[in-house]
Amino acid sequence: MFRFAPYVIKSLWRHRMRSVLTASGTAVAIFVFCCVMSVQEGLERLTSDEDAQRTLIVFQENRFCPTSSRLPEDYAPRIKKVPGVKDVMPVQVWTNNCRASLDIVVFNGTPPRKLQQARDLKLISGNWSEFEDRRDAAVVGRNVAIRRGLKTGDQFSIGDLSVKIAGVFSSSIPAEENLIFTSLEFLQYTRGLDAAGLVTLHEVSLTATADPDAVASAIDAALRAGPVATTTRRKGAFQTSTLSDLVDLIGFAHWLGYACVGLVLALVTTTSLMSVQDRIKEHAVLQTLGVRPARVFRLVIAEGLLLCNAGGIFGVALALAMLSWSGLAVGAEGVTIAFRPSIHLAISGATVTAIVGIVASVLPALQAARTPIVASLREV
Amino acid sequence: MALVELRNLTKTFKKGDETITPLLNVDLDIEDGEFVSLMGPSGTGKSTLLNVISGIDRPDEGTIHVDGVEVTRLSRGRLADWRAANLGYIFQTHNLVPVLTAYENVELPILLLPLSAAERCKRVELALEAVGLSDRIDHYPRQLSGGQEQRVGIARAIVAHPKVVVADEPTGSLDTKTSDQIQVLLQRLNRELNITMIMVTHDAETAGIASRHLVLDEGRIVESGKIGTTAVPAVAHR
Ligand SMILES: Nc1ncnc2c1ncn2[C@@H]1O[C@H](COP(=O)(O)OP(=O)(O)OP(=O)(O)O)[C@@H](O)[C@H]1O
Ligand SMILES: [Mg+2]
Repeated sequence: MFRFAPYVIKSLWRHRMRSVLTASGTAVAIFVFCCVMSVQEGLERLTSDEDAQRTLIVFQENRFCPTSSRLPEDYAPRIKKVPGVKDVMPVQVWTNNCRASLDIVVFNGTPPRKLQQARDLKLISGNWSEFEDRRDAAVVGRNVAIRRGLKTGDQFSIGDLSVKIAGVFSSSIPAEENLIFTSLEFLQYTRGLDAAGLVTLHEVSLTATADPDAVASAIDAALRAGPVATTTRRKGAFQTSTLSDLVDLIGFAHWLGYACVGLVLALVTTTSLMSVQDRIKEHAVLQTLGVRPARVFRLVIAEGLLLCNAGGIFGVALALAMLSWSGLAVGAEGVTIAFRPSIHLAISGATVTAIVGIVASVLPALQAARTPIVASLREV
Repeated sequence: MALVELRNLTKTFKKGDETITPLLNVDLDIEDGEFVSLMGPSGTGKSTLLNVISGIDRPDEGTIHVDGVEVTRLSRGRLADWRAANLGYIFQTHNLVPVLTAYENVELPILLLPLSAAERCKRVELALEAVGLSDRIDHYPRQLSGGQEQRVGIARAIVAHPKVVVADEPTGSLDTKTSDQIQVLLQRLNRELNITMIMVTHDAETAGIASRHLVLDEGRIVESGKIGTTAVPAVAHR
């Protein structure tokens, strides 16, 4: 097969304008496809991760925005007494935007020591001791740092908040890289928040054998007598319901991804078909020289595959680069979905491209292999 | 047994209600090393005859044997393999692949044979040398003259060392001088390399280089004596 590689490449090169345009179209469509898939992946992770399944969120009953949920901080020791609870971390949430946004900034105020125990965060720069010592210190997720251009040592101000960045962290949970952590008190005493002794939510980690839903009901029951009623859910369920509007939208975007695949299919089929119809006589000559119809078929498939992959690989690479350099995230009401590049994304992008390349050239390839030799030789 | 044996060959085309019969019960033997010319009025079926011998078209009836192989029984894929190894086809309009160089065009048919790269290289160089184009190997078809293109086409037809080469008006679209050169070349290939040639032509002078002359008319092949004389054609095989 490779003996014919020069022929395949030169045939594509002969109509370079056409080939380049087709490849570019493919690149754009595959780029969009990868971006859409990365949002899907982000959403998937947010709701089905181990963390999402085995962590509970205690929120004020019938409240949905972090600014309106107000729970007493001293619920924490009471929650901790419920069987199955390993630890409780009170969290004060502050966000610059309660609506859906692509540039959402979310602060989580937690007791600094608890944070390091409860979350799997690694500092890329800076150090924990400065974070613990300074009242207005903050550690910033890698994604926010990329998006907002923040470095350790910077002062970052937004709204009434102004923090000193003590470090930038990465996390095993991509969505956490969209957060900024400060100490709980700092956020509680922020002007305008007026939340002394109050927190937005309690995050509950469970013992290894505990049943999350049973513990959630037990927590709500235990706190019913308190001043504020609560709703406790798995973190995954909490995040999905908080993002419900976005989830619908993302579900729709997923069709957009398929539409992109369809677009590439149509584009590459058209180009292959044109190229085959231009060369009816040439393929007849090849067959006269002794090239089997099956090989003509494979040659056309190879052309389509090469064309599609040239664009597709570029599109995948572009998407991965964009995702890793832009730190994009979409979020609402303090919950964010991270768009992260991943091996899985690269593989699915490349696989889709290859499959589309083959499928798109089947029809033209059949046409080339089947045309009667003599009639085609008579064509001018 | 002759190298090429046609027995009872019939080919018809249907065009609407009309049936055209270019070949009707044709019998023909061509011996190894012969140079056969085939003449006849336009539209009588000369190209059709070459096409069925090459296996790119199928007869309605009858058999064709080439070197003992019954080509009329081979499948389309097998026929292609057989052509690659045993048959050279020279077109009236060279039909070179425009994106490939002279060298690559000549190499095309032997890419299909189990030859090493070194062996292929040697064969291509010899074939191009035989047609006198050793200094044009890297030229693309559009960089060659009509006569040179035709010579590349001839090199491509002989590179696999085929048993039979068929040529459909090989000088049909060339000027007289170039046509003469091609004639000399074909004659040399036949004599020096002992390639069996079957050549269709409209030109009595071109036919003159052949050693045996046939005329196709009204579906039948007629052996004509000397071209250019008024000798009554003798009926060959009936
Ligand atoms: N696919 C086809 N369908 C219908 N008729 C055909 C087809 N191919 C050839 N014919 C007819 O068969 C006859 C023989 O054609 P062929 O091309 O073999 O003639 P020829 O002797 O080579 O003519 P020329 O000297 O002009 O090249 C012609 O009358 C042609 O119209
Ligand atoms: Mg003809």
